[in-house]
Amino acid sequence: MTIAAGIDVGTGAVKTTLFKVEGDNVEWLSKRVTRIRRRDPMSLVDESYAAMLKEAGLTADDVDYVATTGDGENVPFRTGHFYSMTTHARGAVYLAEDVTAVLDVGALHGRAISIDERGKVLSYRMTSQCASGSGQFLENIARYLGVSIDEVGDLSQQSDDPELVSGICAVLAETDVINMVSRSISTPNILKGIHLSMAGRLVKLLRASKVKEGKVLLTGGLAMDTGMVAAMREEMANQKLDVPCESSPDSIFAGAIGAALWGAFRYEKLQSLGQLAEAS
Amino acid sequence: MSVQKIVDRCQALYDDLDFNAVKEWKAKEEGRKAIGYMPVYVPREIIHAAGMLPVGVLGGGDQLEVIHGDAYYQSYICRIPRSTIELGVTGRLDCVDGMLFPSICDVIRNLSGMWKLLFKDKYVRYFDAPQTYDDNIGGKFYKQEMQELIEGLEELGGRKITDEDLNNSIAVYNENRNVIDELYAYRSKAPWKALTSEIYLLLRAGMVLPVEEHTELLREYLSAIEKEDRPVRDNCRVVLNGTFCEQPPLGLVKSIEMAGCYIVDDDFMLVTRWLQEDVPTTGDPVQNLADAFLHQSAETAAKYVDTEEAKGNFIVDSVKKYAAEGVVFAAPSFCDPALLDQPMLHTALNNNNIPFTAFQYAENSGQMQPIREQAGTFADSIKLWSA
Repeated sequence: MTIAAGIDVGTGAVKTTLFKVEGDNVEWLSKRVTRIRRRDPMSLVDESYAAMLKEAGLTADDVDYVATTGDGENVPFRTGHFYSMTTHARGAVYLAEDVTAVLDVGALHGRAISIDERGKVLSYRMTSQCASGSGQFLENIARYLGVSIDEVGDLSQQSDDPELVSGICAVLAETDVINMVSRSISTPNILKGIHLSMAGRLVKLLRASKVKEGKVLLTGGLAMDTGMVAAMREEMANQKLDVPCESSPDSIFAGAIGAALWGAFRYEKLQSLGQLAEAS
Repeated sequence: MSVQKIVDRCQALYDDLDFNAVKEWKAKEEGRKAIGYMPVYVPREIIHAAGMLPVGVLGGGDQLEVIHGDAYYQSYICRIPRSTIELGVTGRLDCVDGMLFPSICDVIRNLSGMWKLLFKDKYVRYFDAPQTYDDNIGGKFYKQEMQELIEGLEELGGRKITDEDLNNSIAVYNENRNVIDELYAYRSKAPWKALTSEIYLLLRAGMVLPVEEHTELLREYLSAIEKEDRPVRDNCRVVLNGTFCEQPPLGLVKSIEMAGCYIVDDDFMLVTRWLQEDVPTTGDPVQNLADAFLHQSAETAAKYVDTEEAKGNFIVDSVKKYAAEGVVFAAPSFCDPALLDQPMLHTALNNNNIPFTAFQYAENSGQMQPIREQAGTFADSIKLWSA
């Protein structure tokens, strides 16, 4: 039996998970998500990790492997680190069946990852460094419009005449939004327009990664935005990408899930090789 | 001295683009002279035997703004000659009384010509190396090269360099090479303790410190690192290749380590490890140095290999010797020796089922995120999908 923790330090939130793995039996013991909100991510990691262990009734000594992902390379008590693509791919395989592609849309960027049934990354495409395709951009706009991030999805789905924004540049997109407000465009139509613009870029990434069958799973923080999921489905139909697109209630944890499960895998592999790294 | 203090001292030497350590060494005794040399290899024993300080000049790194240097070279070559020119024309290299430009590529050869035109009062020499490893051809040529260097330094220093001087210097450098071998063996055994970012700085310190002091510093590090309690990480073991001339920014070395790789062998500052065995300290020193160069020198991308079958063996052997799981090729942009060799090295690795990844850098590269991503996903692929 292996106890493994996954810590995903993102741009907007810290996600932690704890798993017990015994052969093919995988038991999810605990999970936490904490928004960073200008606080020190490493302090949040410590707090979240301690709270998660307490919730599971375990201590740090009970954990065999602490795996980090995202920007977690600096977590001092990590055993190993895995890259976001690797962990989101594994997390997606855990969260849904028949997944052939993962669309990881976080606060900083979007990434389409083509995977096989084991969660091995086959290819990937990323958005450029421009913020207009990112969750952080959407969060900023929501703040300007005076709505909470939790309301964005429902409002977007109330849209009857969405107004598209620039999909190229966050500065231009923000200017578009200011113009829309001054033209009295409704908040639902602005939000849906942003969702559709972002979805348009993300579907192009999926097409470039040559996804043709199976299923696309949305992961990362924006997978929780129902308006974004609806816009993705709409845009996939528009761009004739005929594969289902899903989100899981735990999609935000995909990176942390993948990290923990790969950590457990590594622990067992190292044990069999007699090269066990000690969790510090 | 603690590890932190040793590393801090090396970092300060690394950061000092004004070569103050060299100036301080020269100031201690009137008439002392320093001789700069560029990568990859010169017989430092000869400079030492002349009573002079060999000074490794490895470009300007990522902290030097190149203003004048760009005027001397076209844009489609590497950065090290430009930043070296910058060091020279801004007076930072005034403390060296001569410069040696070893045979590594056309760009460095041209730099030796520019140096002769720019610094007419300095001793400047293009130090050629044999491409034929036959004693009667390459050996004869190389002995002649060394003899001319000896005569040049005798004239500059105003005194004869005796065989006894040379043999004593050979002994001092044998000792330095042996401690560096110990350091590399220790890192291979405990890479979580002896971090490569620290080893790099230790080797860089040897470019400006007197060899005796450098040997002592390495011994102090080896003794101090043993007492350090550093956590073991689940990282993969890799050989780093291609960094033998233009230097990678320190951030690049740290990024590879942060990305989940333990670097267990590398080609940093090959001048310190070019000769693989002790050079005899009795008999004809020039003959002994020539024999060592021809028959006991490291196989690297910076050295001519005369048979196709042998090409790349050194990297496969390195992977086996250091129990590495893969190779990271990090080569400077436009580096002919490193980049022209890579396809042949790739073939050798493919033939031996050794995974590898490759990227390029410049000494002033600042954006490390793509390198972290690439090295990190490479480490993941080794950890999760290798047999």
